[in-house]
Amino acid sequence: MLLIPTSSSSSSSSSSLLPQSFFNSNSYSSNHHSLFLPNLRYPILHGSRKLKTLRLRANFWESIRSGFVKDNNTTQLVEPPSTIEEDTEPLVPVEFTLVERTLQDGLIEEIIFSSGGEIDVYDLQGLCDKVGWPRRPLSKLAAALKNSYMVATLHSVMKSDSDSSEGDNGQKKKLIGMARATSDHAFNATIWDVLVDPEYQGQGLGKALVEKLVRALLQRDIANISLFADSQVVDFYQNLGFEADPEGIKGMFWYPK
Amino acid sequence: MLLGGTISTPPASLRDEDLKSRGFLLRRTAEGLNLDQLNSVFVAVGFPRRDTAKIEVALEHTDALLWVEYEKTQRPVAFARATGDGVFNAIIWDVVVDPSFQSCGLGKAVMERLIEDLQAKGICNIALYSEPRVLGFYRPLGFVSDPDGIRGMVFIRKQRNKK
Repeated sequence: MLLIPTSSSSSSSSSSLLPQSFFNSNSYSSNHHSLFLPNLRYPILHGSRKLKTLRLRANFWESIRSGFVKDNNTTQLVEPPSTIEEDTEPLVPVEFTLVERTLQDGLIEEIIFSSGGEIDVYDLQGLCDKVGWPRRPLSKLAAALKNSYMVATLHSVMKSDSDSSEGDNGQKKKLIGMARATSDHAFNATIWDVLVDPEYQGQGLGKALVEKLVRALLQRDIANISLFADSQVVDFYQNLGFEADPEGIKGMFWYPK
Repeated sequence: MLLGGTISTPPASLRDEDLKSRGFLLRRTAEGLNLDQLNSVFVAVGFPRRDTAKIEVALEHTDALLWVEYEKTQRPVAFARATGDGVFNAIIWDVVVDPSFQSCGLGKAVMERLIEDLQAKGICNIALYSEPRVLGFYRPLGFVSDPDGIRGMVFIRKQRNKK
């Protein structure tokens, strides 16, 4: 299930992003929502870091079909348009760079998408803590990941200009987003637990995360991709091509608390 | 059986021995399940006919399933399965009862036991997508639609992102 907190909390990225009702039980509420604030407004400037990012709207992407935009802020976009057209789009590679930008202090930050499922469960727990989710046992988190058909992650990799051509030396890799899907490998897939680090919200990363995950699932021939969305994020997913209650089909939960 | 004053009570759940005595065998694995016959039940209730090879793959990656075999014909007459991550979430799919065997408690029997099995695994979040005409079947079993305004959503293919 996917959840967006009330938009009034967007300016305080470290505040609790879950409505209180979701903390009141240990059943469904803790298990299937993502915290994501896709308001796509310009980001808050933190400290001395000058970060200029671009809104990932479809028509914007189409306007830069050449693949990147160069401006004074040296933000480079390396990702083709974000519409989901499974027949004509190239295969989603397992891992690729979504965004690359140069920060004021000379550091280069790359946001890397991966559907390979390589994720440190401690990092994930840390991320869940950051977005304010109730704690789940590590062993269960690990099992849930292992039993998921696809786990998509966003990592931020920081490197300084001087060693950008070297290997991991001096690179800092940080998990900043995740989404996963369970599936029967043939007909249905369901997306759960979409989350983005509050410090990286508002930049369209959650949208990209879900979009790429959906495309990867479609490319594996999974015809039915579903999810459960909190009322505040229904629009978000509608914009990504999801329809609520198609043909009147309703999502139901067994004794939700 | 007490008749007076109990007319509005829903029928008691069928116990395993009730089913057996009526010639229905409960099965909890896909062993012995004829996929062509299962496919026929799917078609009989209005699902599209599927590739049995794909059904086999789906069943291999299913967390829990239950079906009822009619002893006399050895054919499946009721079925339900659940997928998920094995610890937190499960979704129930393909709940079917052969039209000739509907309305005698088989669907409920299958669902109750499937839920029990999922709970035994520690799964607390059990969900499903229900067609509008069978909401009344799931509600008495304990399912609630759109709790807290949560909506089930499905990705619609061949749709351009128009934003």
